[in-house]
Amino acid sequence: MEEGELLIRNGVVYDPINGVKGEKKDICIRDGKVVEEVKNPKIIDAEGRVVMPGGVDIHSHIAGAKVNAGRLFRPEDGRKGVKARTKVCRPESGYSVPNTFATGYRYARMGYTFVMEAAMPPLAARHTHEEMVDIPILDNAALPLIDNNWMTMDYVKSGDTDLLAAYIAWMIKATKGYGVKVVNPGGTEAWAWAKNCDLNDAVPYFDVTPAEIVKNLAVANEKFEMPHSIHVHGNMLGHPGNYGVTTSTYDLVKGIKPYRDRPAMHATHTQFHAYGGTRWGDFESKADVIADYINKNENVSIDLGSIILGDTTTMTADGPMEYSLYQITGRKWTNHDVELETGSGITPFLYSGKSPVNTIQWAIGQELALLVKDPWKLALTTDHPNAGPFIGYPIIISMLMSKRRRDESAEDMHKVIFDRAEYSSIDREYDLNEIAIITRGMAAKTLGLHEHGKGHLGVGADGDVAIYDILPEERDAGKIQKAFLNTKYTIKGGEIVVKDGEVVATPAGKTYFVTPECDEKLTDEMMVTLKDRFEHYYSVNFNNYPVQDAYVPNPYEIKAPWRS
Amino acid sequence: MQTIKLKIKEEVTSGAAKIPVEVDPLTPDKLAGKTEAEIKAVKVWWGNKEENTGDLFDVSVEGEAGSAEEVKIVLEGDLSRVKHIGDGMKAGEIEAQGDVDMHCGAMMQGGRVTVKGNADCWAGREMRGGELIIEGDAGANLCAMYRGEMTGMTGGKVIVGGNADECAAQYMAGGEILIKGNTNILAGLNMSGGKIVIEGDAVMPCADMTGGEMMVKGSKVRDIIPSFRLVGTESIDGVEYKKYIGDLAMTEKKAKGVLYVK
Amino acid sequence: MVEVTDVVCSLCGCVCDDIVVEVEDNKVTKVKKGACAVGKSKLMGHGRIESPAIRENSSLKECSYDDAIKKAAEILAAARKPLLYGWSSTVCEVDKVGVELAEEIGGIIDNTASVCHGPSVLAIQDVGLPSCTLGEVKNRADLIIYWGANPAAAHANHMKRYSYISKGYWTEEGKKKKKLVVVDVRKTTTAKLADVFLQIEQGKDYLVFSALRALLYGYEDVVPEEVGGISKKNLLETVRIMKEAKFGIIFFGLGVTHTRGRHNNIVNAIQTTRAAHTHTKFSIMPMRGHYNVNGFNQVCTWETGYPFAVDLSRGYAWYNPGETSSTDLLVRRECDAALFIATDPGAHFPAESIRHLSKIPVIQIDPFPNPTTEFADVVIPAAISGIEAEGNVYRMDNIPIRLRKLVDTEYMADEEIMKRILDEVRAIREKEGE
Repeated sequence: MEEGELLIRNGVVYDPINGVKGEKKDICIRDGKVVEEVKNPKIIDAEGRVVMPGGVDIHSHIAGAKVNAGRLFRPEDGRKGVKARTKVCRPESGYSVPNTFATGYRYARMGYTFVMEAAMPPLAARHTHEEMVDIPILDNAALPLIDNNWMTMDYVKSGDTDLLAAYIAWMIKATKGYGVKVVNPGGTEAWAWAKNCDLNDAVPYFDVTPAEIVKNLAVANEKFEMPHSIHVHGNMLGHPGNYGVTTSTYDLVKGIKPYRDRPAMHATHTQFHAYGGTRWGDFESKADVIADYINKNENVSIDLGSIILGDTTTMTADGPMEYSLYQITGRKWTNHDVELETGSGITPFLYSGKSPVNTIQWAIGQELALLVKDPWKLALTTDHPNAGPFIGYPIIISMLMSKRRRDESAEDMHKVIFDRAEYSSIDREYDLNEIAIITRGMAAKTLGLHEHGKGHLGVGADGDVAIYDILPEERDAGKIQKAFLNTKYTIKGGEIVVKDGEVVATPAGKTYFVTPECDEKLTDEMMVTLKDRFEHYYSVNFNNYPVQDAYVPNPYEIKAPWRS
Repeated sequence: MQTIKLKIKEEVTSGAAKIPVEVDPLTPDKLAGKTEAEIKAVKVWWGNKEENTGDLFDVSVEGEAGSAEEVKIVLEGDLSRVKHIGDGMKAGEIEAQGDVDMHCGAMMQGGRVTVKGNADCWAGREMRGGELIIEGDAGANLCAMYRGEMTGMTGGKVIVGGNADECAAQYMAGGEILIKGNTNILAGLNMSGGKIVIEGDAVMPCADMTGGEMMVKGSKVRDIIPSFRLVGTESIDGVEYKKYIGDLAMTEKKAKGVLYVK
Repeated sequence: MVEVTDVVCSLCGCVCDDIVVEVEDNKVTKVKKGACAVGKSKLMGHGRIESPAIRENSSLKECSYDDAIKKAAEILAAARKPLLYGWSSTVCEVDKVGVELAEEIGGIIDNTASVCHGPSVLAIQDVGLPSCTLGEVKNRADLIIYWGANPAAAHANHMKRYSYISKGYWTEEGKKKKKLVVVDVRKTTTAKLADVFLQIEQGKDYLVFSALRALLYGYEDVVPEEVGGISKKNLLETVRIMKEAKFGIIFFGLGVTHTRGRHNNIVNAIQTTRAAHTHTKFSIMPMRGHYNVNGFNQVCTWETGYPFAVDLSRGYAWYNPGETSSTDLLVRRECDAALFIATDPGAHFPAESIRHLSKIPVIQIDPFPNPTTEFADVVIPAAISGIEAEGNVYRMDNIPIRLRKLVDTEYMADEEIMKRILDEVRAIREKEGE
């Protein structure tokens, strides 16, 4: 047997990026990469089971300051997911806020091999990286928050998008980040004074609007050959009647030409932004309006943020939103505003099928998936852990694949589901190819990672493979759910990491980061202002700010040259 | 009826270090139907090693039981380092003949635990049902919640013959507690339901209370929380009590707790 | 002579990072800027443990690092309930190895939070923590409240860098436009600077917080004329100042966490912050002591799920301070071996715990000799983090900062010592066939 060679035989392969829709096909891997052929490999006989590339999660909160604040203040969640160490694995704890080890093992057991940490406060970027190093198996990356930053707003106000580009380039490099994350633009800065902003409100003291921030960041982002678009959590998340703000936010990037074949904006956890009504009493689904927009336009991609019923821990840089939520529940609430940059809030929340509001939220996430016609425009997420923990993905997959399952589930929900959501009238059922698109293909393409070996099984791709213990014709929702929770095999970089649902190896993951290459003169000009900000307002010295190389022991750099 | 006697061996508690034995696997519902040999082979944690029950306890079994309800476990010897007695038990009876260590009767759902001495902290933690009788004193956090939870005891009945230390019944949401002695600070903290009667005195009772009822029969209640509202007097069993509503520090909307003080 | 700038101080939770020092002949010879007197003294260095040593017939005998590490591993591998304690005055990289070792030996890992701000952590687990970074305070706060904390003595640069005396974006005029409120049992140095000083009776903090909450929510009628030694008039005045502030912050210290009510005092302080937040922006922050006490809590949380006092006896984490916290374990004589790293229980733990420690094998890892050295059975000297070794630490407001290495040393760094102990333990386990 050749060292480093693996052959997966007799699998039925779903590799949507390469147009492979359930073909019986062998996969050959040598030295961690997919190759044309192997000579004397170790052989896995998939025996007709479903084979997909390793899963790619486009948006999940798995590492960093607020995730850890969530763990720290919820020992009662910690004791829910306890599992003793094994010969290979370190101890697991937690359900909605699992420890780093459990995070890696559970994703791997579901066949995922890449996860994007969706919100990294720049000043605490070292923390995010420290935790990502401690998440076994998964390749990872993180999106720094650059929208409520004072420098961003100042450049938006002065209209200097070139200098804005220089600033975001520096921030992405300094944080070893992957792209531009936007969370309640302007609203989080306003929250530092206990206020909030709607899309066209002026941000207190800064005299710019959230709409201007989003638009200018999108323009600045496309000045580089960035793999990913701006990644937007818009204003008014979670408020009844916010769907108009949502489509207006989408409109902001119409006419902005993306650098490559992806939209100019990725709008995340869309479920939370597809709300009708004027208050909780007349709250209703507007998934149809949002889906209609996505169907007719090419400027935006989305992910779901679909609800998993039960208790979870909500956490976001959207401080005012978390405060509203805490006011509803009266449960514990942590807030952490970050100087000159961003903020965050955390509070536990129970999604109950008995609540009319939670029922409609639950329906909206699935309606979006079913009403958006082209699966390449959306990714499966629960905005982990906000709409529910990632460990619930298999539940959503089984729902999308089975109308019967949805009908049965609807019976257990609040009856409001039958009159304020379109849920029951939708007959569509996803097939495995579409599931492969929303769980790996779309995310890899939207993040530009398919060009770096992720999310597909073409020659040269990473040897990341999930073998699920079902045959392609399986329609039993329970069996589908079970299969997607624990793979028959997960293979990472050619190494078997999960076998029969048990983690058998825990190699370290790589951290992907982007280096935007900005014009030097622009950088020099921007730097004068930046250093002044550090001198007078930051509580950390400029020279102690950038993330040192020591924090990224397994780096994968993607260069993003300046375009104009 | 079946009686299982477990007498802790002297060498378990005689070392320089007094390492607790954790006996959560030794409840009537888990031992019912087992032979003496099988009981001796049940694994219990002693520090970081699992040991056979028979290596730590002298085990004797008398009579037979058709179900857990007919099983009585009697624990003997120095039990001051035996934790989790009756933890999670559903039925039957446990009698501990002496002072017991932490978590006695924690998560109990049914049956009865009697402690012939004192019980250390977290006795009756998150209790859901059954009966817990502590003839001596109870340590801190009697019938309280686990760290971070917002619900402690939800059901069952607890009697403490002596005093109870700090934070008794924190986050209590249901059930009944009778404390015949005094309570240390913050009894009934965050209480939202259920009933507590304290025959002795109390200090700073019922802070952040949102529901339920506490009656302090002793003559001394020190440091009444300054955010409680005195609403009048009430005569109960021929005794005049001041009636307080609170805790207004949780806002008026939530302040639905009642505190009776002599 | 070389001048080194942006030096990060490894003393207290302020983690000042604007220090300038001079280094000559591999020694810090001068602290030119930035550090407070205590920080300066640490940077300049003092007496060290000279050699690894093992106790034989009641006296320490010098030995090699190899022998000391081997002996330490033997002690830990044989223990039924070993305690690994300290971790706050070293870097996160070391804390990570500590957690791994605790898993390997089925031990309990705990840090000094257990005897300082552990109660704050317990309070956060009850109600959360509305807070912010120190730069937010510097730029925005117009009301600073120190409660049971005396930064003028314990965190000398705190007021200057981050709070009352600092200047920022909306606070250009510094303390002129700010209010300082101090609550304490005695008139401390900090209290002398205050606009309002509330002298509280010992052990009555809980009651005063409840009264403030009632007033902030508008129930003036129920609050008595005096609470905890403070008149209702002064309480009302404090509430008025709180409501009128644009951005208020409460910094609290061990004066609240270690008096009657303990962690529930902090719950009530946080509840008071929440009540104030219904009127204006309000935050609260613990004044963490050791420079990386927070860092251990962070590492331990993401690795085990819990911040301190984690018992890994059963191969998974069980967390229950009061039961699994060091002083409780030692007073109850539960442990049969202990490792202390970068800490001094000999000076800080109750006498009963020390009595028990004298009966069980104790391992000490530290740059400096201290009372613990007097009874330790294995002593392993270490490099000083932040001077002789680099690594990550977390400031009191959760901001991660990297300590710099300023000079070379022949002392082994904590990380290497810990890794080698772990390797030795694994070798013993392998031999035992486990």
